[in-house]
Amino acid sequence: MKVPFSGTREGEAPLTWGQRLMWRAVHLMGPSQSFLNCPWVLPVYGKRDLSSVLNALGRMLERHEGLRTTFHDTPHGPVQRVARSGELTVELAQAGPEGPLGTANRIAAELGTTVFAHGEDLPLRCVVVLSGDRPRALALVFSHLAVDYQALSLLSAEWRALLRGDDLPPPEWQPMEQAALEGEESFLERSRRSIRYWRSVLETVPLDVFDHPPGEPEEQRFIEVGMESVALAVAAERLAERLKISTTSVVIAACATVLAVVSGRPRAVMQLVHSNRRDPRTQSLVATVGQDGLLVLDLPDTGFTDTCLATHRSALLAYRNAHYDPFEMQAMREEIGRIRGREPDLDAFFNDRRGDGTWPNLPRLSPDQDLTPLTAKTHTYVTNAWPGVRFKVFFTLGTAPDTGQLSLIIDTAYLSRETARAMLLAVETLLVRSLTQDVPIAAVRDLTPVT
Amino acid sequence: MKNDLEHRLADLVAAVSGGEISPEDALSGDHSLAALGLSSLAWIRLIDTIEETFGVDVDLGGDLSALDRVDALAAHVSGLLDSR
Repeated sequence: MKVPFSGTREGEAPLTWGQRLMWRAVHLMGPSQSFLNCPWVLPVYGKRDLSSVLNALGRMLERHEGLRTTFHDTPHGPVQRVARSGELTVELAQAGPEGPLGTANRIAAELGTTVFAHGEDLPLRCVVVLSGDRPRALALVFSHLAVDYQALSLLSAEWRALLRGDDLPPPEWQPMEQAALEGEESFLERSRRSIRYWRSVLETVPLDVFDHPPGEPEEQRFIEVGMESVALAVAAERLAERLKISTTSVVIAACATVLAVVSGRPRAVMQLVHSNRRDPRTQSLVATVGQDGLLVLDLPDTGFTDTCLATHRSALLAYRNAHYDPFEMQAMREEIGRIRGREPDLDAFFNDRRGDGTWPNLPRLSPDQDLTPLTAKTHTYVTNAWPGVRFKVFFTLGTAPDTGQLSLIIDTAYLSRETARAMLLAVETLLVRSLTQDVPIAAVRDLTPVT
Repeated sequence: MKNDLEHRLADLVAAVSGGEISPEDALSGDHSLAALGLSSLAWIRLIDTIEETFGVDVDLGGDLSALDRVDALAAHVSGLLDSR
């Protein structure tokens, strides 16, 4: 099936900072860049026929220029090129025994395994999942050059209205406007300030994430170990409430502590994937806006309470300095590389994918209910493997609304999958124990046996 | 007696919080802005807005807790304005 679209304008502009970050990432990762693809599902609400669902999809592409954009290398640098009109090819599939949404989730994940040709393809693919002739869900995958998870949340939020055929006001801010804004002096100054901050860290940070030499990696070198823990989420909520900071800060604090302990260092340095939508105009922008902040956490001599508070302050500093031109940042990193012999390896990451930073559907527990029995229900599993995503350590807090979904990608040349699993469980234990005592940092070492 | 600067900053807090924090609560000083529910992102937006509105450069390298209350923020901004 073809879904035609016809927007209000076409155009070409430099890449936005968010796009530049992804442009560099897709080229660094090559065939493993499918890691960056964003699978997503939009349920079809109510009884709709196929043509009205495809219509709604076409209107979505018309509204958001980023969804009808291709990306091109030119002698003046890479550019975004917006098409005014075109067609999206859509496949149809019947719902399987796992139900329409289960089928759509599976298909979206499958669609995500194929790399986008960024200069030719529209930055999304779609399969309509049907029960008989009734459309039930859209299985989609988006290029990360076009969207981040905040943008996908925006699309979900307007999808119901699009299906109904409501008149929506046109978006006022598109990626081409963002690119122009980022060329203004106030934004360039902001970029320079962020780069100065990163530079001050890079001048002294250890050159490697781990002091020990790499060993023999597994055949698929980078694996992702996942954990689902209601106890982690409830404990993070209680600590956040108690300390008046966000659950994101609490979970970062636990992950950074465990990383510092495993690396045998008093300081954790991690990149924080940050939504970066601090300018009000970007709040409704369907584009990839997120950039990375740089967290520096010196473990206090005291306990985890102080660690959480220190993490919160360090994270604010990291977020503030997450607004920069990635090309200028790269130039600075290369300069540091020349001075120090090579670029420091900053491949330790944390990403909170929850759109609003909450878990809306956690089970209701009494405020002081002991969480230890809940930890027995926690399970861990290997979710994925890639040959070349190039991370040493990458924590991701997933979008599940009813459980703490924490995963960890590791480079198996440096850490075993057993260590990864122990690290995830140590994060959970640290958070749960902190509800009843201020866990001393020394005690965290006993939680993370390195194998 | 709250000065004009504190009132203006309290209005900015209300604006960046999307109305979730009233200027009166921000001014009262009973709680830190974080305790009133100002998110990390809104706090950064507040610092951005202060820089744009007053034409100052807020250095976050020091003790950030000094920037988590309207009276302390006002003292900080006032110092920056005086040193220009």
